Amino acid sequence: MKYTFRALNVGFVSCVCSQKSCINLYTPFARKFPASPKFKSLWVYWLGLILLSSFSTLAMAESNVVNVYVWSQELSPKIVENFQKETGIKVNYSTFDSNEVLYAKMKASQQSQYDVIEPSSYYITRMAREGMIEKIDLKALSNYHNLNPAFQHPEYDPGGEYSIPWVWGLTGIFVNRRYYPDDKITAWRDLWSARYHGALLLLDDPREVFNIGLLTLKYNPNDQNVSHLKEAYENLVSLSPNVRVYNSSSVPSMLTDEDVAMGIAWGSDVYKAQVENPNIEFIYPKEGFVIWVDAFAIPKNPPHRENAYKFLNYILKAQTAALQVTESYYPTANKAAMAYLPKEIVDSEILFPGPETMKRGHFQSDINDDAIEALSRYWQLLKLQ
Amino acid sequence: MKPKLHYFSVGLIATWLGVFGLLSFLLMVVISFLQQDPDHIALPYFTFQNYIDLLDPMFLKIFIKSFYVAIIVTGGCLILGYPFAYILSRLPEKLQNISLLLLLLPFWTSSVVRSYAMMSLLKTKGLLNTLLLSMGIIHQPLQILFTPTAVGIGLIYNLLPFMILPIYVNLERFDIALIEAARDLGAKWTTVFRKVIIPLSMPGIVGGATLVFLPSMTLFFISDLLGGAKSLLLGNLIENQFLMANNWPRGAATSVLLTLIMGAGLLMYWKRTKNKEAEHEAFL
Repeated sequence: MKYTFRALNVGFVSCVCSQKSCINLYTPFARKFPASPKFKSLWVYWLGLILLSSFSTLAMAESNVVNVYVWSQELSPKIVENFQKETGIKVNYSTFDSNEVLYAKMKASQQSQYDVIEPSSYYITRMAREGMIEKIDLKALSNYHNLNPAFQHPEYDPGGEYSIPWVWGLTGIFVNRRYYPDDKITAWRDLWSARYHGALLLLDDPREVFNIGLLTLKYNPNDQNVSHLKEAYENLVSLSPNVRVYNSSSVPSMLTDEDVAMGIAWGSDVYKAQVENPNIEFIYPKEGFVIWVDAFAIPKNPPHRENAYKFLNYILKAQTAALQVTESYYPTANKAAMAYLPKEIVDSEILFPGPETMKRGHFQSDINDDAIEALSRYWQLLKLQ
Repeated sequence: MKPKLHYFSVGLIATWLGVFGLLSFLLMVVISFLQQDPDHIALPYFTFQNYIDLLDPMFLKIFIKSFYVAIIVTGGCLILGYPFAYILSRLPEKLQNISLLLLLLPFWTSSVVRSYAMMSLLKTKGLLNTLLLSMGIIHQPLQILFTPTAVGIGLIYNLLPFMILPIYVNLERFDIALIEAARDLGAKWTTVFRKVIIPLSMPGIVGGATLVFLPSMTLFFISDLLGGAKSLLLGNLIENQFLMANNWPRGAATSVLLTLIMGAGLLMYWKRTKNKEAEHEAFL
């Protein structure tokens, strides 16, 4: 209910019905049944309802807490627990499954209820431009030097002041060699082969899928030209007979159980599946691939700024970052953490590919509203195929 | 019931529906006439644009596809649910209560969780395939998961009780003497069924069909989980517009239109039954 009212207040604060409609909701009763004993209980009930609705707000405004909103599976419960033990600050933590959900939720309220959020790289650019996140005082973070210099001034946040990179990863092709033992797969283009009719897994993420459409046409994955996006869409339409499923949240189990034998996936998901099913192979396509980064940011005017800084500094500790890698197998942007990681993770070609491979990578950056509108339309059309 | 308690409970339900049903629907209606803006939920300028947008052939295609799915699911539920409800209503009372409990038991678990369970049944290495393979009935695992068939199975499974219950309530009050009378007058079983049982249980069928039809167009997580997120239903479209395209006004317009279509259907049925009743009274 809180969201409904919040939503109400943002969109048309000044005009249509900010507070008025809420009052009107109660007054008819008052006028019709002024002091009738019959309706006393009704009034008690109304009161209870109002109390109930304010209760949830109270809980969020409690003092010694930090409200954290992160990608699912990107913040280990152990880290949360250790942080609470060490600092005595309670972590209220909730998760999301797509940047769009995070963005829509942040837009729906003027005053952020979160202290720390974790958007992906291209949403950092967008939120910084729209004044939704604030600059972080890097000097206040004593562990900042642990960060890999390669991530300190990324394209999506050139000053490095709006975000603290946390985990990153790469998108590539996976193939189960039990089903396709001798297929030579080196490029995205190979997925278009008629051999893979109704067999592929694609990530359920418009940007990821269109990256492939653009890369196979030799365009940059961050291309904003609407006519290029149209070409990419037509290119992807010819791929759609090969698609079996769009999914991005339960990829490791689908790979392990062999529900799909080939497709597009994030390196860390493939690494996880490979541990249990050694038939699976990961390929970095020769046309290039996209590097994603998810980074922590502080929304404008957070309710508990001080605790947000304490949380970020804790996150930047080498041991904390290392713990996250061993829990979820996402490559970390924390250089000092590498010393705390087991050898098989540090040496993994899937998680930490060599510099030669990394040269083909593109950091994902923000695209403008016209491109987004076109992308979302083509995405829906693509799914209608 | 004591009047105080009476008012309390009626007030409770009325407020609940008022706030979460009517008020949020009215909000949607208001937003659907406002201008879209990527930086705000909506701008306070009146416009019909969101409804004009819905005339786009792409949206039309989704509408038609969703209708097709809904008709199949409603038909499937009716074919499975009607005999079930009929048998249920003829059982001894004690057995009836137990069967009703069993019917409602799955509702104690969230339908998202049950859809995941359904996934593990239909998977390539799932229970169904393992069973059929070990019995030698099939030699290659069936690929059901992530196909429209899986969506159909999931929807019918989830919505079947909503079809059974209204029909059961209707048939339970059904006077058995009517059937006996028809038989005495020489009607065959098929005629009794066609001319007596079906027409009299029509309100139950319509009630069930309305409860099944709308959700089968909008239960987007079932098509996401079991259908591999490939086929767009109206629910997916509405979800996409709110979350992905960040276009609240158009999302609101889509859901308002859906409600209107549903309302029109109900109104038509209501008018027809009213006319029939009037005819019936005139006849008497």
